[in-house]
Amino acid sequence: MHMADALLSPAVGGAMWAVTAGLTAYSAKKLKEIPDDSRVPLMGVLGAFVFAAQMINFSIPATGSSGHLGGGMILAILLGPHAAFLTLASVLVVQALFFADGGLLALGCNIFNMAFFPCFIAYPFIYRKIAGRYATAKTISVAATVSAVIGLQLGAFSVVLETMASGISALPFNAFVLLMQPIHLAIGLVEGVVTAAVVLFVWQARPEVLAMAEENAPMRGFSMKKVLAGLAAAALVTGGALSWFASTYPDGLEWSMAKTSGSEELPAPEGGIHAALAGIQEKTAFLPDYGFRASEPEKSAGTEAETPKPETPAAWPNPDAGTSVSGLVGGAMTLVLAAAIGMFLRRTSAARR
Amino acid sequence: MEALAGASGDALGSSPVHRLDPRAKCVVTVLFVVAVTSFGRYDVSRLMPFVLYPVAIATLSGVSAGSVAARTLAAAPFILLVGLFNPFFDRQVIVRIGGLAVTGGWMSFLSIAVRSFLAVSAAVLLVLTTRFDLLCAGLRKMCLPRVFVTQLEFLHRYIGLLAGEAQRMVRAHDLRSNGNRPKLALVVYAPMIGLLLLRALDRATRVHRAMKARLFDGEIRVLRPLAFSRSDFLFILAWGGYFLVCRFADVPGLLSGLAGVR
Amino acid sequence: MSHHYLEVRDLRYAYPDGTEALKGVSFRLEHGEAVGLVGANGAGKSTMMLALTGLIFASGGTIDVGGTLLSKKTVGEVRRRIGFVFQDSEDQLFMPTVFDDVAFGPLNQGLSEPEVRERVTDALTRVGAERLADRPTYRLSGGEKRAVAIATVLAMLPDVLIMDEPGSGLDPYGRRLLIGLLRDFRHTRLIATHDLDMVLDVCPRTIVLHEGRIAADGDTRTVFSDAALLERCRLEQPSGMRK
Repeated sequence: MHMADALLSPAVGGAMWAVTAGLTAYSAKKLKEIPDDSRVPLMGVLGAFVFAAQMINFSIPATGSSGHLGGGMILAILLGPHAAFLTLASVLVVQALFFADGGLLALGCNIFNMAFFPCFIAYPFIYRKIAGRYATAKTISVAATVSAVIGLQLGAFSVVLETMASGISALPFNAFVLLMQPIHLAIGLVEGVVTAAVVLFVWQARPEVLAMAEENAPMRGFSMKKVLAGLAAAALVTGGALSWFASTYPDGLEWSMAKTSGSEELPAPEGGIHAALAGIQEKTAFLPDYGFRASEPEKSAGTEAETPKPETPAAWPNPDAGTSVSGLVGGAMTLVLAAAIGMFLRRTSAARR
Repeated sequence: MEALAGASGDALGSSPVHRLDPRAKCVVTVLFVVAVTSFGRYDVSRLMPFVLYPVAIATLSGVSAGSVAARTLAAAPFILLVGLFNPFFDRQVIVRIGGLAVTGGWMSFLSIAVRSFLAVSAAVLLVLTTRFDLLCAGLRKMCLPRVFVTQLEFLHRYIGLLAGEAQRMVRAHDLRSNGNRPKLALVVYAPMIGLLLLRALDRATRVHRAMKARLFDGEIRVLRPLAFSRSDFLFILAWGGYFLVCRFADVPGLLSGLAGVR
Repeated sequence: MSHHYLEVRDLRYAYPDGTEALKGVSFRLEHGEAVGLVGANGAGKSTMMLALTGLIFASGGTIDVGGTLLSKKTVGEVRRRIGFVFQDSEDQLFMPTVFDDVAFGPLNQGLSEPEVRERVTDALTRVGAERLADRPTYRLSGGEKRAVAIATVLAMLPDVLIMDEPGSGLDPYGRRLLIGLLRDFRHTRLIATHDLDMVLDVCPRTIVLHEGRIAADGDTRTVFSDAALLERCRLEQPSGMRK
């Protein structure tokens, strides 16, 4: 469920980057409070373990398809929430950079979706609650399965929200939710069973490993209140960024609202949200509004400039210069030009060698 | 894992692009991704000027276009999955080319494909032209938490090793299953992963000992001086300016206007 | 008076489950001596090397490194004096590049940048790996990895070198180079290995460890000529002596 750059708007991607950066700094600070120099190689090697484990597939009974471990819950169980979060984040960074999973803009979203939920929600509030005090084969199995399912459900729903808020995909909210949640329920169940099986194996082979992990992952100061406060702060940042985004570039939000409300056009933007947004825009927009409009008809020389140009965001969807024939030709020309410059550069750099 | 090995091979080059400060490359990469993703959902032609960046960087650095493309296309499946819904849900015709009516859905799908290719290629080029240790040195200088950068370095160091262990385990299993290769059943899979995990834990213990034997005290120290030179500054300025112009001025439109196309 | 000696007295170690790995081991290495440490698997070689550098704490006995008694307080000083080359170079080379890895120890010693650079260059030159400085550690051949692993330890200017299976994973050529290198060192050396031919080439003296006790300690050729002893300790006479 890697989120991709192409489906994200910079505002959503940037907001999630901010949230993730905050979580990373918070986790790093927490780790500093309990110094343990054996953690450095442990986190590194376990991160590599998650990578390696993801290369091995197993068959999912009765379906003919195969799956692999996600690893989030295992890391949380072995390392505790803070170290596990940083480890998972590092895995996602390397995946984005070297394996083109996700992308740079989407990195914030991906870390949030795939590391925050298992480490800071599923592990402390589900796994520890069930398996924390009386670890038996049964409680470990149940705890691992339930927490994996819930972690993945939250992550999947988060993907839907981020995609919707970005407004690049045309998938309606309902359809997207109906697509994502059941798929991730299945994936979560499989992940849970595998997590439970692996944790049980370790628990039986070397019980001290898990006992030590529990000691190293103190739950002191881990309250629901703090997490909720953190989430609220994250929501505020996201909301703020989104409203700024909406004020300068309303397509995305408008579109998802239009889609979910089933109408193609919202009521006339008199007062209401548009007035409010316009107000925010005047105060916060550091880029002139016209700049952020995808393009203006009069800018593409050669098109009929006499068509009345819309003053406010026009009825959606708004065919713009980019989609006119001249735009397509111009695009093709630019592409050829870029290629030509590339060829030229290759020649000159070859000549220098 | 070839991805890692290949990347580190390319990253060892010594082209002008390789020699740039990693911080400059990071900044330009981020600017590029933000510029590309900030376009409207139907924009395709406006994205075209941005193709120049990956083309120029790939050429100047001597990284093969094939390896960039191969890595970039690895990202395709999820994007296709989600993007392909657009043509079904957005059927309004927004442009006619001759007799062909193009709907908003197809247009936005194309836009998604192009921006995906561009955004991913920028990230791919960053790692193909930058040694990972220098990239991490840059990240450290850019105030990322040290523990996180160290984690990136250790992860990167041990991925290949553990992947090799995983591969050998699977191969050993395959050899014992008489040539016909059934997918691993869960009863085989879980102990295999468990064993891999135990070996990883042992490895971590040994590495920790090796570190302590050389006086490790919890703090990783490195000497990797980075010098931000004038060419780095110019690199940011030039590309940043180019992205800015292409973002806010309709370059393809102007070009087609010059060519007299209506 | 030299500080480069290593004296072990009545060293004992028991695992948490009670199994005794070392049952009272005593020996003394003099300045510049090269000593082979041989014994079957499980004889206690690796355990002893971990104990010598304070990576595990012995349950009894003393370890004296050039006048410093190993304790929790002096463990840093002891580790500075004893360079430990681990069996698996992958464990020892944990930093991204060869330079970073060789500089790791000197930087932890708190040396200044020019001093660290000098140490790195000297150490890499000593093992013939100076051209590898900028290479990522995981892109080295087995022999290169071993050479760099030794350099990481040399850079700390230890008085005593202890090595666990230094020849493992090397091809015959790499092994030959390693033997040449080990013979040239002037450090006090303790080399644990199954490669008795290497011991024959490098170490005039050999200690045989068997079930946590010293079974023999003396001139290498004399020890390896004692067929009954080798048989009892599950060892085999090196091919270099079967002529």
